[in-house]
Amino acid sequence: MDKTQYCMKLSVQPSRGLVDEKFTILVQYAPPGFRLTIHALHKSDDGHSWEAFAHYTTSATGTVNVSEDPSLGGTYSGVEQMGLLWSLRPVPGSSPALRLRKVNVQTPMEVTISVYQGHQTEGFMDQVQLAGTVVERWYMAPGVRRVPITEGGLTATLFLPSGPGPFPGLLDLWGGAGKLVEYRAALLASHGIASLALDYLTPKITMETGKMVTNDYFETAYRVLEQHPQIIGSRIAMFGLSLGTSMTLKMAAYSKVMKLRCVVCVGASHVQPVVGSVQELLDYSQKNAGKTRINEDNQVIYRNLMLPIPTDPAFKVDVGRLQCPLLLVVGEDDQNWPAYEAAMDMKDMMERAGNSHLLTILLYPNAGHLIEPPYSPHTRFGAFRTVNTREKVVALWGGEMVAHSRAQEDAWRKTLVFLREHLYSTNPGAASFSTNNQGNN
Amino acid sequence: MLRVHMSVTAIRQLIGVKTVQCASVCRSVACLHRAGGGVRWKSSYKQAPLLTATPVRGLIDEQISIKGRFLRPHCPVTVCAQMHSEDGDLWEAFAHYNTKADGTIDLTRDHSVGGTYLGCEPMGLFWGLQPAPGAREGLRLRKKNVETPFVVLMSLLEGHVSPSEGQSTELAAVTTERWYMAPGVRRIDIRQDGLVGTLFLPPGPGPFPAMLDLWGMGGGLVEYRSALFASRGYASLSLAYIGHKELPGPQNKLNVDDLYFKSAYHFLQDHDQVCGDRVGIIGLSFGVFLTLRLATQSGLKPSCVICINGPIGSTISLPGGRSVSFEERNSKYWTYNDQGHVSFKDISLPANISPESKVKLEFLASPLMCIVGEDDLSTSNIENADVIEETLRNVGKSHLLTRLSYPGAGHLIEPPYTPNSRASLWSVKPKKLITLWGGQLAPHAAAQEDAWKKILDFMESHLRQ
Repeated sequence: MDKTQYCMKLSVQPSRGLVDEKFTILVQYAPPGFRLTIHALHKSDDGHSWEAFAHYTTSATGTVNVSEDPSLGGTYSGVEQMGLLWSLRPVPGSSPALRLRKVNVQTPMEVTISVYQGHQTEGFMDQVQLAGTVVERWYMAPGVRRVPITEGGLTATLFLPSGPGPFPGLLDLWGGAGKLVEYRAALLASHGIASLALDYLTPKITMETGKMVTNDYFETAYRVLEQHPQIIGSRIAMFGLSLGTSMTLKMAAYSKVMKLRCVVCVGASHVQPVVGSVQELLDYSQKNAGKTRINEDNQVIYRNLMLPIPTDPAFKVDVGRLQCPLLLVVGEDDQNWPAYEAAMDMKDMMERAGNSHLLTILLYPNAGHLIEPPYSPHTRFGAFRTVNTREKVVALWGGEMVAHSRAQEDAWRKTLVFLREHLYSTNPGAASFSTNNQGNN
Repeated sequence: MLRVHMSVTAIRQLIGVKTVQCASVCRSVACLHRAGGGVRWKSSYKQAPLLTATPVRGLIDEQISIKGRFLRPHCPVTVCAQMHSEDGDLWEAFAHYNTKADGTIDLTRDHSVGGTYLGCEPMGLFWGLQPAPGAREGLRLRKKNVETPFVVLMSLLEGHVSPSEGQSTELAAVTTERWYMAPGVRRIDIRQDGLVGTLFLPPGPGPFPAMLDLWGMGGGLVEYRSALFASRGYASLSLAYIGHKELPGPQNKLNVDDLYFKSAYHFLQDHDQVCGDRVGIIGLSFGVFLTLRLATQSGLKPSCVICINGPIGSTISLPGGRSVSFEERNSKYWTYNDQGHVSFKDISLPANISPESKVKLEFLASPLMCIVGEDDLSTSNIENADVIEETLRNVGKSHLLTRLSYPGAGHLIEPPYTPNSRASLWSVKPKKLITLWGGQLAPHAAAQEDAWKKILDFMESHLRQ
């Protein structure tokens, strides 16, 4: 293509967005019927390069609109407005089993979007782009404040929305890999919910004493939220993923201190010893370790650890005791936890107890365990090191990329609607997920 | 000193009275907590209302969608915008809305019934920003550092109030950023071949179509329009020609000549990141004269020329002759209003322009967009535009001309969604002078929005196709 003849224009709008906002990628003033590849490149906080690409042919007016035109191949196909983000994968030659997670939430994720001539599949770094631009994707909206919390022996970070408040609050728990994972709490604060990301597996106190925290630790975290002058004590939610759901359900059902407004659980299981806390939960998994399977790709499937769902009430949280709405997000191809079976059992328990009107289950066929905020790349399997055994394995999370990405988008939208309905309005009935309610404004 | 036993109501009023930036409000609240050892915040508003803005980080010329929800139905609320300029002045705007039956407001849908603007104006809180009561006289909002955004705090207040009255309860807030530079745009200082300028390059490998960007007699190096052009895919060079310490000679005189501007144009053309055959020129005010002068030089054929509110000639000749200051040559044409504010309008009346300086428009070979604000109090833009139109018609070149005329718009037709100053400080020495620019609030805002779209479309058709 003679560059002097055409002055191709590549634009992405908005060029600075929150990670859960959509963007529009437009190529204009290219020759008509021109074959090109749109490429996305991102360097993660831990120094790995990720890329995605898609093949397009320009229209008669020399245009490609990624929101409207089909990709003819690449890391995704068909009409996929956000495909260049959720189909990102490690560049060839990368370490296997990587997972893309933002560590520093105060800086944006930068993605370079470029246009290359022809339908290319590799060697992008050796070629000259026809056009390129940079997009920023933020977990934190302007004015959101990040406050490290160490009071009460906690290892936590509080994210406060901009403004004087007061705001509803939320306690955010992640899974079995431990550490302090901040990005979901930062994003929720960007949506107006004061959120506390809590490290409950590897907090300072555990690292120093060698002892796992007990239920008091979670109640302390709740109290920090409840007593904060900018947080409405009567409007506090709890959000758990994976192992985090175990503690979330336990506290929601049994804690005398925590009066939760609503609960969200992703990839949940209520199966655990009712008595005790984190240590007992880990011991229970350890006891059942023999049930893990390894597939032909040497990936570890943990889901059977908690199957079959016990009938003995000493080994599952009595969700019949819940007095607040519960949203369960379930990937039907979850290979890490038996989220589907657990959800069905919880439904059963709640129906018998007469509180099933509080329950909403979102089921996603072909989605895996890690249903995270949308447009982040799907990880079907990944390096994993459990807190108790310290064993390094490759765990199978499950899910097929396209279905999982759709699940992330849909689940997040509905989660925000659910949280807003119960934390903001006066009349929280059953949340309505109709398309009139735009969860991601 | 705050006492522990202060009532919650008093605390709330205290917070409400201060129209300060969010950060200091929060510090005061945090102070309360520590001092009170358990002062609990209880909102009297039963629900927790939510104010959202999308996108929260936008370019200056992008619209923001502002919505409030979880409010009481059919209730009066005020939406307020506040920001601090780089000089520390507080600017604010506000509008009165009534919530719908579903407890929402949506500035893209609803009508303001009072405040800075009326009617459905999704961006009214931005273009309507005005210096807060008590501010210094003669302010104009201009971004000097284009690498950082304007931070605008949007808040939702109970009732139909004026933020400076101080009796309002704040229900919700959201912080927005307004950027002149998109991510990946490169800002490069240019100090070569005697040029004083700043080059903005879009992200990507290039080469790019380009614009030479000229401002008026206010002088200095004005970067923000160029930064926006680069954010829209055009390389753009902001050029200083008067009032800059790195230019030769006294700052209040025009000490550069035709060669200077030609040099700037060629610098762009020859730059390896610029498509040499796709270079345009834009000028505002005196920059119009410079733009047309450059565009009608032999050997130069810019792809497009854009002129906003300016003259076709000058009372000051470019050296060559004895260089004089703007004041020395022109003060006899200055007129004053009742408040002692000066209008420069008559300086550029065609009758007052020296005939030798008049640009030879008949040599124009490039498409020309001529933008005129009908309430311009600083230049005789209409008369000059008439001369342009007539001259081109006489030589059969009408097809080159696109003329846009905006009733109620003033002199400073700038990128959209930024406030206009009807008058502002022109000089401090030898005496304090405030000059009139003109422009009525809403019509000027509408003109900026429409003109910018048309400018970008004009550039697209002549620089890309």
